[in-house]
Amino acid sequence: MRTPLDRSTSSLRADMAAYDPVLVDAAQPSPTLSSAERLAIYHRQYWFRLFTVLQGLYPLTARLLGYWRLNSFAAHHLAERPPRGFDIEAIGDDFAMSLAEQLPEDGTIVTDSGLRIEAAAVLDAARIDAAFHRVSRAPRSEPLRPGPADAARFGDSCLRLSASVALVEERWPLAELRMGFAERHGDERVSLLGRWPTPRHWLLVCYVSRLGLLALDPLEAELLGLLQRLPLEQALGQLESAASPADLESLPERAQAWLARSVRLGIWAGFVDAR
Amino acid sequence: MPRTLVPEALGLGLRTRHYRELGEPWPELDYFEIISENFLSEAEGPRYHLDRVRERYPIVLHGVGLNLLGPEPPSTDYLDRVAALAELVDAPFVTDHLCWTGSHGLSHHDLLPVPYVPELVELAAARARHVQQHLGRPFGLENLSSYVEFAASTMTEWDFYAQVVERAGCGFLLDINNIYVSSQNHRFSPADYLARIDRSRVLQAHIAGHTREPNGTIIDTHDQPVAEAVWQLYASAFREQPFPTVLEWDDHIPPLTDAVAELRRAELVRA
Repeated sequence: MRTPLDRSTSSLRADMAAYDPVLVDAAQPSPTLSSAERLAIYHRQYWFRLFTVLQGLYPLTARLLGYWRLNSFAAHHLAERPPRGFDIEAIGDDFAMSLAEQLPEDGTIVTDSGLRIEAAAVLDAARIDAAFHRVSRAPRSEPLRPGPADAARFGDSCLRLSASVALVEERWPLAELRMGFAERHGDERVSLLGRWPTPRHWLLVCYVSRLGLLALDPLEAELLGLLQRLPLEQALGQLESAASPADLESLPERAQAWLARSVRLGIWAGFVDAR
Repeated sequence: MPRTLVPEALGLGLRTRHYRELGEPWPELDYFEIISENFLSEAEGPRYHLDRVRERYPIVLHGVGLNLLGPEPPSTDYLDRVAALAELVDAPFVTDHLCWTGSHGLSHHDLLPVPYVPELVELAAARARHVQQHLGRPFGLENLSSYVEFAASTMTEWDFYAQVVERAGCGFLLDINNIYVSSQNHRFSPADYLARIDRSRVLQAHIAGHTREPNGTIIDTHDQPVAEAVWQLYASAFREQPFPTVLEWDDHIPPLTDAVAELRRAELVRA
């Protein structure tokens, strides 16, 4: 049971014992419950509902930290950014950012099961969960299918990534783990495996009714990032300067293939003026 | 003119968990009820699943975010979105709750009761009438399950509910489980409640499971099969005048076949 009303949320219990007297007077006691106890049912349900939604939107983070630990961060997030509007899942929009504010990147954190893990891994997990959340909520849009007439645009424009696509970087093996949670539900804990020697990159794509996760070469990820900031020629130049001597010879051919694949996958939504 | 449902129709509350189970064979249901808010955004995924379902079943809309009794009138933007969704699926009717769900720009995402007083009957009826006009199709109000009563109340819940619906000229979404839950929490007779409801105005009924806590309070959890006492209450109401019925299951959701089997119990208990 993921009820929030336990050890890590004792502050919520304290809140519930201290309702405004006007509110307590407005509510009638029942034969078995005081007015405050009856109000507390709503209070508990409010937190229970929001915590459960966040646990569902951040399943990787929740499984790494444990639900109690996640709830304590969620309580702070929700107090700072209480829900507005009819869309309850909007409470997940800023949670990764809120977690980053609460959790120093260079520290460690003790999970529900007593393990001490790197905060950076938890923040990676939250960013990956946030990417899944974001692409899943993307509106329908037509992908960019550039033709000969668009050649000039590549010279003076950047590319805009589709809202249904995210570039994901991981320092621990997390993205594929998260992908598994998109296909099944459950509460099982996950263990953090060893950190990669160098970061790995993924392309996360929401295809209407399902999610796809494609591994990217580090230079391919670099190119896709550059194309969002620079016109094609400048992006290629910068990519070349970032490449190792061993990569340089094959880079033009590979870059062309990566660009063609990105268009084929429909990850671009359009051009953006580079100025 | 929106399509209609036969009184014996059996429907299921469509939940995200069901999406991957939907397909051949499609479940033997007369219709689905969707949570309006799950389909009000432009997200592509939910719309894809909605399209698959609406090709095969009638769909009714059930909202949780109208905030009928909030400090401000229901949002026009929200009503426009619901109206467009209802038009898209050609919903026979749209429903939401006789409650408030937020104030001062914040949303509680909970269905909160109000004191039952004549002044609020007028306010609720005027707003419900406006909602029905805005939607351009039948609108129904659902009774709450509640855990608190207000010292300021001067009417029974059922009198308040009935007066709002009658003055608004809208319909009842009669939640049988909610009547039972509140009757136990507030010690009233569910038969008295049902007796006050004009059955000709019932658009639909809800049935669902609940949880009894150690202190005796019943919480409307929608996380288990329908309680026997609720089935009995449902059967007595249905036999007097039948109405379409939807099973709601929102937590610990079983496989679709099990949910449909639970819904089909309605045919046995009301026979």
